[in-house]
Order: sequence, then C-alpha cells, then structure tokens
Amino acid sequence: MTETAFSFPSTYNFPPFFTPQPNTNTRHDQLKKWAALIQAWCRHHRQQRLALIDAVESPLFHNAALRKRLDLREARAIVDWMAKTEEEGGGGGRAEWIDAGRTVAWIWWRQPAEWADLLAEWIESTGQKGVVFTVYELLEGEGTGSQEFHGMDPEVMLRSLNILVKRGKAQVFGAEGQEGVKFF
Amino acid sequence: MFFKALDLTTALRPSLLPDEILLFVQDAVGLYEGKFKIPDYQNGHAYLTSHRVCYVAAEEPRKFSVGIDLKEIDRAEYQSKAGFLKSSPKVTLYPKPQKNKTDKSRSATASPGISQSPRLGNSLSPLPRTSTPQKSPSPKPASATWICPICSFSNPVPSNFDPATATAATHLPPCLACGIKPPFTTVLKASISAATSRDSPLPTGALREDNPVQFNGQAQTLQPGGSVSCPRCTFVNHPSLVECEMCGAPLLSGSSNAGIRADSPAPFFEQSRITNTEVSESIKLSFRAGGEKVFHERLKGALIQRKWLLQDAPPVPPPSQATSSPSLQIPTALESPPPAPRPSGVGIAGLERRGFETRKNNELVIGNSFEDLEALMASAKQIVALAETLARESGMATNGHSTEANAVLSESAAALGMVTTKDMLTSGSENLYLSELSRNLAEYLTDDSQGILHREGGIMSLIDLWAVFNRSRNGVELVSPSDFQKAAELWEKLKLPVRLRRFKSGLLVVQRYDWSDERTLGQLQDWMEELRRVPPEDPLPWDWSLFGRAVTAQEAAQRFKWSVGVAAEELEMAEDRGIVCREAGIEGLRFWRNYISDSVEMPLGWGGGGEGESWAV
Repeated sequence: MTETAFSFPSTYNFPPFFTPQPNTNTRHDQLKKWAALIQAWCRHHRQQRLALIDAVESPLFHNAALRKRLDLREARAIVDWMAKTEEEGGGGGRAEWIDAGRTVAWIWWRQPAEWADLLAEWIESTGQKGVVFTVYELLEGEGTGSQEFHGMDPEVMLRSLNILVKRGKAQVFGAEGQEGVKFF
Repeated sequence: MFFKALDLTTALRPSLLPDEILLFVQDAVGLYEGKFKIPDYQNGHAYLTSHRVCYVAAEEPRKFSVGIDLKEIDRAEYQSKAGFLKSSPKVTLYPKPQKNKTDKSRSATASPGISQSPRLGNSLSPLPRTSTPQKSPSPKPASATWICPICSFSNPVPSNFDPATATAATHLPPCLACGIKPPFTTVLKASISAATSRDSPLPTGALREDNPVQFNGQAQTLQPGGSVSCPRCTFVNHPSLVECEMCGAPLLSGSSNAGIRADSPAPFFEQSRITNTEVSESIKLSFRAGGEKVFHERLKGALIQRKWLLQDAPPVPPPSQATSSPSLQIPTALESPPPAPRPSGVGIAGLERRGFETRKNNELVIGNSFEDLEALMASAKQIVALAETLARESGMATNGHSTEANAVLSESAAALGMVTTKDMLTSGSENLYLSELSRNLAEYLTDDSQGILHREGGIMSLIDLWAVFNRSRNGVELVSPSDFQKAAELWEKLKLPVRLRRFKSGLLVVQRYDWSDERTLGQLQDWMEELRRVPPEDPLPWDWSLFGRAVTAQEAAQRFKWSVGVAAEELEMAEDRGIVCREAGIEGLRFWRNYISDSVEMPLGWGGGGEGESWAV
C-alpha cells in the first residue's frame, strides 16, 4: 500500500473537540466522532493494536496546530466507550482492551467476525476450497498481497480463523506459531 | 370631596405624585359612602400617602381603584368596634364644606390663629347639612356624656349645652361625683363626638320612628335572654332599662348601632362606578384586618402636616432671609445664588468668597435640619437635593465610574418615598409587608427613569439587586435577605412584570416576565453566526468560517451587558440545550458553537483502502 497522508475530519480542528463535553447529547456525538476518527486512523495505518501511551503523542490525539491534545484519561474513556456494545450505550464493540492496565487495546475497525467473512469470501471467490495454507502464508505470502488482511496482526488472524472453525468452514492444526489452516 | 381615578404603577400600586410620600398600607379594607357599602370596593388595599387616601381593590385593581385628596378632607374620625356585636373598626373621613355653601366655616378653618371654640363650632356646623333629611334639626344629643378628668365619672352633658354657641364663658355644672367643675374643652369635645356619632339615627323615640328598618334590626340584636349589654362597660342589663345600671350609659344607642351593621351587611351604594362622584356625606374605611389605629394616627398627622401645600410653595428663600426665618424654611443650597447685592468679587478671592458663602449656606441647611427631627422631616426634600449635589460633586472628583454609581445612588434617593418600610405596617402583617415589598421591587426594577434591569441587559442576579436596592434605601430600613427573597418569590403570584429564575447552579436572577431562554438562545446563536462571518484579525489555526471563534463569559457579559455570573449561567444553559459546547484550556473556559453535534460525519468508506476517507462537513 502506498502511504498517503491521513486526512483528518473537520472536527479534528475544532478546539472543543478535545474537551470532554458535559452535555450528554453533545458528549455522545463527540464520542462517536472520536471513535470514527480512531478507527479511520487505525485502518489508514493498517493496525489493529493501539497503544494509548504512544497514541497520545501521535497526531491522532495531538493536534499540533491547535496545540491541543487528548489526555490519557480522556483517550481511555473514549476507548472504553468504543468497547461497549450499542445496547450498553457504547460504540458497538469497536475496541477491546488487551491488558488489564488499559494501556493497549484492539481497535476493531473490522471485527474478527468481519475478518472471517472477508477470508471466507476470498477463498470462495478464488476457488481455493480444500487448499491448505499456513497462517504465515496468509499474512505475508505473495498470493494475499492485494488483500486487506495481508500483514495484519497474527493474533487477530487466529481469532478470525477460529471463528471460521466454529462455523465449520476451516480447520486449524499444527503447533503454536506454525499453524496451518484448511478451508472447506 | 370627589372620588378620583387612580393611576396605578406596573406593580398595581397607586403611582405617587412628585413629593408624595407613602405613609401607610393596609389590606382587607372596605369602602363605605356614608352608611352604604360600595359594591366592588369591599376588599382591597388602603394606601395612605402624604397627599391622598387611595383604595386599590385586590381583585381587578385596574378597574376598582379610587383616590381621595387629603386636602378635601376636613377631618377623620376613628370608630372602634362599636357596640357589643362584631363590626370592623372604621375610619370616617368627612369632606370639607363646599366653599359656596359655607363661607363662614371655610374662613374659620383657614385662619387657625383665633380662639379655639368658634373654629370647632364652625367645623361642626356643616354636619347637619350633609346628613340625611330625617335627622333631628339639632346636632346636640340628649345622651352625650363627658368623663370627669378628676374622678373619671361619666357625667351627662347638660341639655342646654349647644357646642355651636357655647363659649368658655358658658356655665358648666360640676361633676356629679366629685363636684369639680370640668374644663370647657372636655365637655365640648364630648358633646361634639356624641353629635357626630349620631350620624346614624338616635335611639330616642322621636328619631327612631322615621327609620323603622333599623329599629327592627336593633330589636333583633337583643341577647337571647332579652338582656342588653352595655356598650361602655359591657354589663348585661335588664332589657327594660334605658340606661346601664353600672355606668349610666344609654343602652339602646349602642345596641342599635351595632345591630345595623352586624346583623346584615349595610345596604349597598347604588352606583357601581364611583369615580368622579361627589361624596355627599362621608367616606368610611372599614378595616377588617386591623391597622385602623395606625392609619388614623398617620392620617391625622398628614392632615396636620399638609404636605400638598408644599408642592406649590415658593422656592428657595435666599440665605439672608433664611437666617431670620424659622427652621422650616430652608433654602436648597448651591443652585440659586443669593440675589442680594454681592461685593463684586473677581479672581480667586471672588471664587473663594463665593465658595465660603455656599458653605455657610449649606451649614445653615444642615444645621437647621438637624435642629429637631420634625424639622428634618419637613426639609427632607431640600436635604435630599443637597445630598444629591454633594454626591455629584464628590463623584466629579474621582473617575467616571464612581460618578455613575453616585448618580444612581442619589437619583434613587428620589425613590425613597416609594418605598414601603416595615414600620408603615402594623406588626404581624408579615404577608402584607412581603407583598408590598414585592410590589416595591417590581416598581423599582421596571422604573424607566432608573432602568435598573435595562442597564443590566434585562437580567440581574438577585444578590446584585438586593445590594442596589438596599443602597437606594440610604442605609435605613434595610431589607433582610430572607424577606427579599420571599418578596421576589411573590412576583409570579402577584402577576408582576418581573420574574425570579433559578439557574441550575442555584443562582437566582431577576428578569422581565417576557424574557425566555429561547430569546437568550436566539441572541447567542446570532452572535455565533456573526463570528463566523467576521474575519478574525489574526490568522487562526482553524477554519473560522466554519467554527467561528471562542467566546468567554466575560465577552458575553460585555456584549449583552449581563453580569459575568449571569453570562456564565446563560452560556451553560445554552450548552445544556446543545447550542454551544465548551473548550477547557489554559485560557480558561471558552464556548463555541456546537460544531460537534451540528456536523454530520459520513460513515467511513471501506472501499478505497487507505486513501480518500470521506469526511463530510
């Protein structure tokens, strides 16, 4: 993929965007926009993991032109909100904390189930049913270079494959670190 | 004496003339014309001012309110609970005799210098004229009694004693108990008061016959056992007795008086609109909730002071005359230079001399005023004027800001007369005090000449108002905060044109009744729009045509002439409604138009990989 500059939404340049809003409705809109921004950012950089400590120094949370930044606490609050399902009034499970200390989180700009769908669709459309791949091959192989899952986090890939296993569309075998997968 | 139409203030109180001072207020008052109740004028506030007696009905005050000029009142009488049955105490106002009819009495009252007896006699003489035709031709009642000042025995007034003709030389019989000859005035007063209280028909046979209705009423008021209670000593007498066994007072008189009013309400006056009708006989104010004594006392005082004469009084005697004149004539200093030939002063010496003269003049004013309190009261007008000029002068010396403050302060001294103080009301009438205070405040706030609310941008905090209001009282009769708040809470109930509003934080503010959040929001939105149109002076790191500019509470206060506290509250209110949003930063709390909620972000486009995320505005 070519590295193009990430284009920020207009609200990113809106100074109050960096202040937690006390009004419930405004706050909800604010969280929604932050969630969208974080997902877009991660997708642009093709990353699933977001380490907040690093992120607060990155342009994502730090608007150098405005000299405004989101502090760690507020960033956590946004990821917390993203992690909640929509029924809980959250962002629809678009994030998940990786560690108990809430410093690193999965950002599900595409959830594992969605990745699984994408994989199954790729297998289907390329007629590779019954073919055996190694996980490494899926992630880094020549044949997947044009696919979105190319180069994704192996942990996310395994979680997606496991979802396919549960659906009965794949089988994972082999030792840890050297898994192979067979699609049906 | 005429009923005159009243101008009411926004707070539904009589609007006072210049120099008119409110003396007393009492609620639950009814009006009588002669003996007749006036319909629709039976429950209202009685306002006693230095110039007028005003009645303002509690219901439909704009329709049923009326005033009587004090200058047309000859005298006022106080009638306590007459008889043994309940009747509200009343104050009766007698009109001055018409000029063309009784010139003699008019001239007598106009020159109080001559001896006392003819004046009293004359002022009494119009009574028979004004009374009902059935009345006895002689005002002299047979049953009048005078109380001996020595032994307090009640003696009958001699039947040949005629107050109209009697003089100090008239022979008076001594007291029946102690044998001391009474002073002439005692007997005269007793005779007159007996005569006036016999406006209602006398109980003696000849008089009673021509008023059978009232006689019947009297018969019914006998107590169940047929006995009659003495109106003077309350001793219960046998019904056949004509005089009280204990004190010798006439019995039927009292009971008949009481019976007329207590048994059935007095007949109603025929006319429903009484404005501009002439009062033929007398006006009675019936005090159903007390306060009559103070009212009567102050009314008497006002009748003696005759403040309405001052209004047209010749202005400002020069100081040279003032030195020889008594303390009541006090010049307003500073304004009019003495017309007396002055030694021609030029240069600094002249200025200094003039300054010296002015100081001397002021000294005189102050000195005279403080000679005694009565004199101070009488010269209050001049003192206020002097205080104002002094305040302006001291203001000029300092910067412009305090000039304004001083001007407000001294101008509001003019409103002194409008202010209800606690001692204008009888104790225990807390509610009346509060409602009057509430009306006072409303008047004070809506008074265009001061424009308190207008200057504060239509809204001010209750605490600010409390401070300004108490300052306007010049340090006397201050209002306690709790009374103040209670009075402010009454605005809504009394339908006055101001409202008390509580912000989320608990801040209480005062605003006009037609002021609404929507109006404030509209103003704020207009402002935000304006900020988006006007290019900023310095380049900004954001798109000002999209976001506008941040505003602080201080800026809002400046723009809308609010106080900062109010501005902060209004901005937070707007934030609450989602109109603005906040930015907390090192510059403090600032507010922006709510772009966060206003802009709609398009859902993320998935197809294009890394490039071309579409963010809508």
